[in-house]
Amino acid sequence: MSKPLHENVCEDQLFDSLFRKHSKDLGNFLYYKYGEALNPKDKVQDAFIKLWENCAKVTPNKAKSFLFTVANNMMLNETKHQKVVLKFKETKPKSYTNENPEFLMEEDQYKLKIETAINNLTDAQRVAFLMNRVEGKRFKEISTLLGISIKAVEKRIYGAVKKLKQEIEELN
Amino acid sequence: MEKEYLLKKWLDNDLNSEELIAFKALGNYDWLIKTSNHLSNIAIPSINTETELESLKKAIHLKKEKQSKNWLNPLLKIAAVFLICFSVYQFTSNPVSEFTTLASQKEEIKLPDNSVVNLNALSSLTFNDKKWDTNRNVSLNGEAFFKVAKGATFNVTTNQGVVTVYGTEFNIKSRDNYFEVICYEGLVGVTRNGNEVKLKPGNSFLVINDRVVNLNKSNTDYPYWLDNESVFNSIPYREVIAEFERQHNLTIITKNIDLDTLFTGGFSHKNLETSLKSITIPLQLSYKKEGNTITIQRD
Repeated sequence: MSKPLHENVCEDQLFDSLFRKHSKDLGNFLYYKYGEALNPKDKVQDAFIKLWENCAKVTPNKAKSFLFTVANNMMLNETKHQKVVLKFKETKPKSYTNENPEFLMEEDQYKLKIETAINNLTDAQRVAFLMNRVEGKRFKEISTLLGISIKAVEKRIYGAVKKLKQEIEELN
Repeated sequence: MEKEYLLKKWLDNDLNSEELIAFKALGNYDWLIKTSNHLSNIAIPSINTETELESLKKAIHLKKEKQSKNWLNPLLKIAAVFLICFSVYQFTSNPVSEFTTLASQKEEIKLPDNSVVNLNALSSLTFNDKKWDTNRNVSLNGEAFFKVAKGATFNVTTNQGVVTVYGTEFNIKSRDNYFEVICYEGLVGVTRNGNEVKLKPGNSFLVINDRVVNLNKSNTDYPYWLDNESVFNSIPYREVIAEFERQHNLTIITKNIDLDTLFTGGFSHKNLETSLKSITIPLQLSYKKEGNTITIQRD
């Protein structure tokens, strides 16, 4: 059992590296769970500020769960259980030259279906599922980030898939 | 069982090439593959880590600064309360009234003891409302006619002398280098340079350019200007011009004229053309009007 180098996270370089390591994941997590409307980016900043203010009380290996818990609580305070609505935007531009209008319309409808179905998942399912499908994160990684067992991750994602199957297939 | 096993492994990106082919062959999950492709293309909020780190450091720094200034806040609040108390005290214990007239403007003012002051154009009157019954003091700049109710001593301070009144009506004209007090009723004392001169009704006291001019007798009950006329009796022309400017709100330029010439006559505050004739024809002068400027000259 090696003794950790630092007892807490008050040291500048350590703090910076924590930011580089976790800020993106935290931002995405908040986005999947709560959508864009409540400024996930700001909450990330706020969570890190809180970490800095409490740096003496947090050990390096507890930092990640501290950040996620704090950010989540901040969001909860603001959402007050409003329904989450994620709206997806595409990164890859479409090329219209070789696709006919009918096809495109079908595509759009399909995308809308997916969007609606994903918004209807539970928070837990949605977060795990999107981390897995959008970012390609593996179960183990997701379990570390969310602080749950791999089995629990499997259950959530599998649950999401089943629900999506129902919603998407029945409309085909 | 097989289906679910493959599905889970596929989700976890954990299939070897054989298993992958088998998974795709299942056919049940085409919709999932399609959905997955779509999802991998969507945009997640882009966070430029380095930029965000910069903002974070700035925000932390700002917060620290704000906190160190916190001790200032309660101090400022206390100071503000003191300031408010002080101003209220000042305001209620020292209520100063000030009245000012512009060119072409006259105003009638009632004082706390029902004394009345008529203020002529371009003049100002200041006094303190409190203790009015024991101490009646006003400051005058310009010209005013006073009707002072009987009571305690009434003082008018100008920068050319102090006028003390004992229940009376009088006119004070305090302009540039021109100081005139006319008593219309009662008794008026004018103190200037330590000397007091007492005026009875009809008496006037006049100082032009520091020289006391003969005390003339006045025939009227109250000054002409209250009736919108200015009347002069052997007064230097420059004073006539000055009063004309004040009453008609314009500028007069004189050419080729000796401004110390004594003028006897008057002009109306109303009709401009007639008034101009009144102050030019008697001295054989001519005038020209350009907007708000009159040029008077001797040809």
